[in-house]
Amino acid sequence: MDTDLLSDTFVDLADTMVADFDVIDFLHLLTDRTVQLLGAAAAGVVLADPRGELRVAAASSEKAGLVELFQLQNDQGPCLDCFRTGRPVTANDLTGPDQQWPRFAQAATQAGFRTVEAVPMRLRDQIIGALNLFRAEPGTFAAADLRIAQALADVATIGLLHERNVRRSETVAEQLQAALNSRVMIEQAKGKLAERYGIDMERAFTMLRAHARNTNQHLTDVARDLVTGGTAEFPPARRQPHR
Amino acid sequence: MTDSRAAAVWGQVAAHAAAHGRRVSVADVCAVAVSTAQLGGGWLVAARGGDPDFVMSVTDLVGEQLAELHLTTGEGPCHDVLASAAPVLASDLGDAESIRRWPGFTPAARQLGAGAVFAFPLTVGAIRAGVLGLYRGSPGPLPDRQLGDLLILADAATVMLLGSAHGDGETEDGAWLDGQPRDLALHRAEIDQATGMLTVQLGVPAAEAFARLRAYAYSQDRRLADVAGDIVARRLRLSREQDPGGGP
Repeated sequence: MDTDLLSDTFVDLADTMVADFDVIDFLHLLTDRTVQLLGAAAAGVVLADPRGELRVAAASSEKAGLVELFQLQNDQGPCLDCFRTGRPVTANDLTGPDQQWPRFAQAATQAGFRTVEAVPMRLRDQIIGALNLFRAEPGTFAAADLRIAQALADVATIGLLHERNVRRSETVAEQLQAALNSRVMIEQAKGKLAERYGIDMERAFTMLRAHARNTNQHLTDVARDLVTGGTAEFPPARRQPHR
Repeated sequence: MTDSRAAAVWGQVAAHAAAHGRRVSVADVCAVAVSTAQLGGGWLVAARGGDPDFVMSVTDLVGEQLAELHLTTGEGPCHDVLASAAPVLASDLGDAESIRRWPGFTPAARQLGAGAVFAFPLTVGAIRAGVLGLYRGSPGPLPDRQLGDLLILADAATVMLLGSAHGDGETEDGAWLDGQPRDLALHRAEIDQATGMLTVQLGVPAAEAFARLRAYAYSQDRRLADVAGDIVARRLRLSREQDPGGGP
């Protein structure tokens, strides 16, 4: 484990949280850092909605295949088990026979993943979602890695709730709904950009984030404005370099 | 599985409509919301292109008065939900927080007999269909279970408002089948992405894009998620000429 990267990661996340931040953007940053820190191939944060359905809040990649892997875990998979039990769930080899989640394992291996881990996002007694990691290599997760993953999940929970001590139980529901709705706005905005510019969803997301950064706005606000129609000046993809 | 709880809630809504001998509408959602969470009453305000301003349904006089109070004071929990697209759960109108947030609304609301007001945005991402407001005479938080049911009901009301041809919150024939909404799909990214794509393909606002997407899936007897998947994968395009009901 790169200890410099570890400390940088938590410093970055803490720095973000003391300022005014967009929750989806924050969770996206967290999934990126999770991938870097733990050498994962992909990571995602899923949140439970009022029906108990697990919905993607952020993922390290916007590729449709990865998003689908999270979405189908509403039927079976580590995230569902993790959400129900409140305990970390791991699978060290998704390619062997006798898989506990056959359909999920098949989809995951087709996407190039061999191992998976889900750690709970917990606030006191309530499980609000999970942090889900995939690796391309088979093998067990080191204990240290699992602890880091849990710490990252806890950071995600705190970031989601915008306050360290949730005094009101209503705050959890309010913030969860806001985050879920923000994600929907972002997906709607991605679709609009993809169609307008003839680009894929991943590029559309990059464009949204870049525009938010460049104009010092919240990602969610940019998405909302785009969908509700007031963005004739939205810049084309080539204008700004990646940051 | 995850749907059984939602199915139970929708079943109550359908049963309420059947008991009143009418098609399912937002009035039934309001009534079930009030009874399921043991509240005093509720109201539903629809947004017709702008901010919610059309009081479409009320369950009692106090509910109606609270709806109007929002409009006359220009503040209140139902106003705040739009900014955050999150529920505003004012479980105690007597606390300092409520007075601070809504200095005009709160004392008047308490005089009307409301001890707590719970407001739910009726939104699908950037699409605003309206607001659902509920009150209870006594203060106190909503238990988690009831809150979950109310959020499910808010979703149902949202889809009803967006799906009905005349924006009247009544469902189309066949939109509800055997006591369940025909396709209140599990939320999927493709559905939201396809909505965004359709705003460009059809040249219409997002609310109409969403309605057209649902209408198309219904007319083809296909699952909404599947149609959305085809649109996102660019196997399917909807064209402006296909609009069955006339332009925006």
